[in-house]
Amino acid sequence: MAAEISAMEKNMKRRARKRNLVAYSFIAPNFIGFAVFTLGPIVLALLLSFAEWDGSNAMKFVGLQNFINIFGDDRFLASLKNTVVYSLFTVPVTLAMALGLAILLNQKIKGKEFFRTVAFFPYVASLVAVAAVWNMLFTPAKGGIVNQLLMNVFHASPLKWAASSSTVMLTIIMFSVWKNMGYYMVIYLAGLQGISEELYEAAGLDGANAWQKFINITLPQLKPTTFFVTIMLTINCFKVYDIVYMLAGGSNGVVNKSAMVLVYYIYEEAFRNWKLGQASASALVLFAIVLVVTLIQFRGEKNYAND
Amino acid sequence: MKKRILSSLLAMTMVVASITACGSAAEPAPAAEPAKTDAPAQEAPAEPAAEPAKEEEAPAEAPADEPVNLKWALWDVSSTVYYQPLIDAYTAAHPNVSVEMVDLGSTDYSTVLGTQLSGSGSDFDVVTIKDVPGYVSLVNKGVLEPLNDRIAADGVDLSLYNGVTDQVTIDGNLYELPFRSDIWVLFYNKDIFDAAGVAYPTNDMTWDEYDKLARSVTDTTAGSEIYGSHYHTWRSTIQLDGILDGKNTIVDGNYEFTKPYYEMVLAQQKDGVCMDYATLKTQGLHYSAAFAQGNVATMNMGSWFIATLIQKIKDGEYTDCTNWGIVKYPHADGVEAGSTLSTITALAVPTSAPNKDVAWDFVKFVSGAEGAEVMASTGNIPAMTNDKIVDLIAGMDGFPTDDASKEALVTSHTYLEMPANDKSSEIETVLNEQHDLIMNEEVSVDDGIAAMNEGVQAILAQ
Amino acid sequence: MKSKRANRIIGRTAVYVLLIFLALLMLVPFVWMISASLKFNKDVFVIPFEWIPKAPRWQNYIDIWTKIPLAKFTLNTAKLTLIVTSLQLLTSSFAAYAFAKLEFKGRDILFLAYVATIAVPWQVYMVPQFMFMRSLGLADTHLAIIILQAFSAFGVFLMRQFYEGIPDSLCEAARIDGMTEYGIYSKIMLPLSKPALSTLIIFTFVNTWNDFLGPLIYLTTESKKTLQIGLKMFISQYSAEYGLIMAASVLSLIPVFVVFISLQKYFVAGITTGAVKG
Repeated sequence: MAAEISAMEKNMKRRARKRNLVAYSFIAPNFIGFAVFTLGPIVLALLLSFAEWDGSNAMKFVGLQNFINIFGDDRFLASLKNTVVYSLFTVPVTLAMALGLAILLNQKIKGKEFFRTVAFFPYVASLVAVAAVWNMLFTPAKGGIVNQLLMNVFHASPLKWAASSSTVMLTIIMFSVWKNMGYYMVIYLAGLQGISEELYEAAGLDGANAWQKFINITLPQLKPTTFFVTIMLTINCFKVYDIVYMLAGGSNGVVNKSAMVLVYYIYEEAFRNWKLGQASASALVLFAIVLVVTLIQFRGEKNYAND
Repeated sequence: MKKRILSSLLAMTMVVASITACGSAAEPAPAAEPAKTDAPAQEAPAEPAAEPAKEEEAPAEAPADEPVNLKWALWDVSSTVYYQPLIDAYTAAHPNVSVEMVDLGSTDYSTVLGTQLSGSGSDFDVVTIKDVPGYVSLVNKGVLEPLNDRIAADGVDLSLYNGVTDQVTIDGNLYELPFRSDIWVLFYNKDIFDAAGVAYPTNDMTWDEYDKLARSVTDTTAGSEIYGSHYHTWRSTIQLDGILDGKNTIVDGNYEFTKPYYEMVLAQQKDGVCMDYATLKTQGLHYSAAFAQGNVATMNMGSWFIATLIQKIKDGEYTDCTNWGIVKYPHADGVEAGSTLSTITALAVPTSAPNKDVAWDFVKFVSGAEGAEVMASTGNIPAMTNDKIVDLIAGMDGFPTDDASKEALVTSHTYLEMPANDKSSEIETVLNEQHDLIMNEEVSVDDGIAAMNEGVQAILAQ
Repeated sequence: MKSKRANRIIGRTAVYVLLIFLALLMLVPFVWMISASLKFNKDVFVIPFEWIPKAPRWQNYIDIWTKIPLAKFTLNTAKLTLIVTSLQLLTSSFAAYAFAKLEFKGRDILFLAYVATIAVPWQVYMVPQFMFMRSLGLADTHLAIIILQAFSAFGVFLMRQFYEGIPDSLCEAARIDGMTEYGIYSKIMLPLSKPALSTLIIFTFVNTWNDFLGPLIYLTTESKKTLQIGLKMFISQYSAEYGLIMAASVLSLIPVFVVFISLQKYFVAGITTGAVKG
């Protein structure tokens, strides 16, 4: 009897080991490359946040000094605040727009291939071109199209958009949604293909209307996709850099405190001042925030999976 | 399935290939490429032999005759006319040396160079230094070879650089030798002055006279505006006008002196004399495009714009500013005319350079008298300047023929846009930010200056 | 009944009006690019913008090939993009299967490590990574770019999420039938994840095709450089040739669209429960 049990145990252990091995064999091709060339340097870089280093001279361990420095720096605090504000608005709006577009373009519509391509366009188009068009619409001059609209239709005073501290973040957020929603739409479109037509048919038989179908079928079925989109959006929002440089930097590349974002600050610290430790410390802050958001999402997903 | 995807990718490659094939097939069609560099290249080799500088070479462990290949980090190979002539001139005198250009691109040059020089694995022998903050950060990183001993050993006369080398000396040591120096001048469009019946700007104007002049040719009629002046969005165009009296520097931590200049330009902006900063900034209009529209009467800008103007007018792109001229920068009351801002481009030898001695010899050559003549013959102002050089530049085809334009190239004092300071890049950040706020009229001039003082003093106190 | 049909027609019309309006909004930058590509640089950023240039400069489309070795750059980019996309596709979809459908030790931690690294901006680890790659002798090689791009965490994450959407019962059934995990991956998962694979191809393709900073830092030899570095060559220290940049950008978008449009046909419902049962 006892021997039988231990044999069973052994058997189970062997199976578990085999299962692990099979799983590792799936992961290995990607993971080895990833671990050596990306994860390694990243871990090293994050350790740098406790050191002073300029890329050449000897590294010096400085404890928490880098963190004390950045949290005492107006520009860092401003960039942290701007990044959080930017993400808080951009993530939900982009998410909603992308989902809306995807659902719209997943219907039987003539020329939907055309519309899908067009929606993806601002994402792939040259940033210079997209920003130039945007600046034509939202020019700080009174003659700009949007300002004309504000003045003549809404009887409001014209705004200076990207040129004013009070509206620059708003301008960047709107621009970002416009430029990136097509990208996330593609992900949602792919996700929508995974939902079985039969679920809708069954619900239709039960007399569910379109809204009920959306709430009870589409949304729950899209959960893994939404998890992905939310996390990628959050990460990309926290890593926003080039559109800020383009819109707020303009022709002289001067981005002031009203539009500074974390990665811009990191870039300045790393490559203008060559304070790689301080840059890493800022990145670690960014990393920590995103990690918390991811963990919360992850837990949510786990719960869903267990349902 | 995977095969299908792969095959569609393959199909795509073929599309790409066919596009590129079309492109190269079309290649021979357009004749005569602009910006041919042969002309200077041909005359250059003849010169070095005549120069005395060669004698100094002996003590510097005379580079042996074994073949050496120098790797030179630089930017804009395809659009810079003097690299190849400089190399040709040098290799003509040193047949055993070959020079390989490595283009790191201009937009992110300092970032890429800094990364390449990180650690000690770089194999560059000579690196070009683009700006002073970039220079300071490389010096701080300890990746540039100090040149003092070599300068002393080879008897290089630093006084020929008009004091510029003093402004980039860090803790008594020099780590770069400038070979190109651009000065700021006032460009103007003669046609506008002719049409308005106003006399041209002169080489001796005070700022008040300049302001009056700009206003006198301004026309604010909507649709056919004439702008009396144009300031590109850089802080240099306004802030630095204040240092030309020689009483202040940009790294002192006190910026009261910038006030009259901000007030002058803001008033001009308000009255439509110049274009609005906010619009210029967001619209991304390059100063060359602004001047090329033919409705900008005067513009303060660096002498690098001379070569662009000549080239673009020759190419037929600029048709509305073909009749241009330059004069010296306006000056403050009671100060001699001819003080101006300058920007230098320099060469340095990395500590990791495989061929330091030959590299230094090359740097010395390019920055020295022989290099200077090659530079001038391509229409660029060398760091080491004299009358002969001015003649060479003013004699270029396409350079304005009036005497005032030639005279404008002669300077009395030049001040670097940013002198070498340990904190150059951090100071610049503060100054840029307040410049932006002042010009956007988000803060008053006084508040902006107060913020500059506070910010920079905090940095200096660290 | 009639009013229902009328409602539907009104609804349809509203949808089309909305779509066309949105499409116009999205297409304006493209029109701007084409228009700018036919201009002298000095006229590109002038306001009011001339949408249809009076004297279109087709010469720009010739100049881009002669002023820089654009054909060579395009070939390099095409080569890199193809290799990176194939590698990314293979390794990511493979690894993602384990993360989504297999139980194993350290799964969640590993997965979290993958996702979390996406959050670290490249600017932070660029310098250590470059020094490491150089010490391996990979500076100034295409291999460096391939290695950097091919094993990204993004692809694994994306594929895992789509596999999550495929019911576990499918795999269980196959296991009971005696299929190996490799068999399940290739015979069940892959065919079902065409939309996801297409998405990954599109994104990887676009990213590699448009990558700028990586090639800029790593590739110093002229003949190894890529399209995006080439585009930046038109921006020199003292002038920027936006007419030429836009001409080259317009052309460089063509492959992106070809890929996007040709993969559209995979964006059709992959699973129906009928197929699942069968």
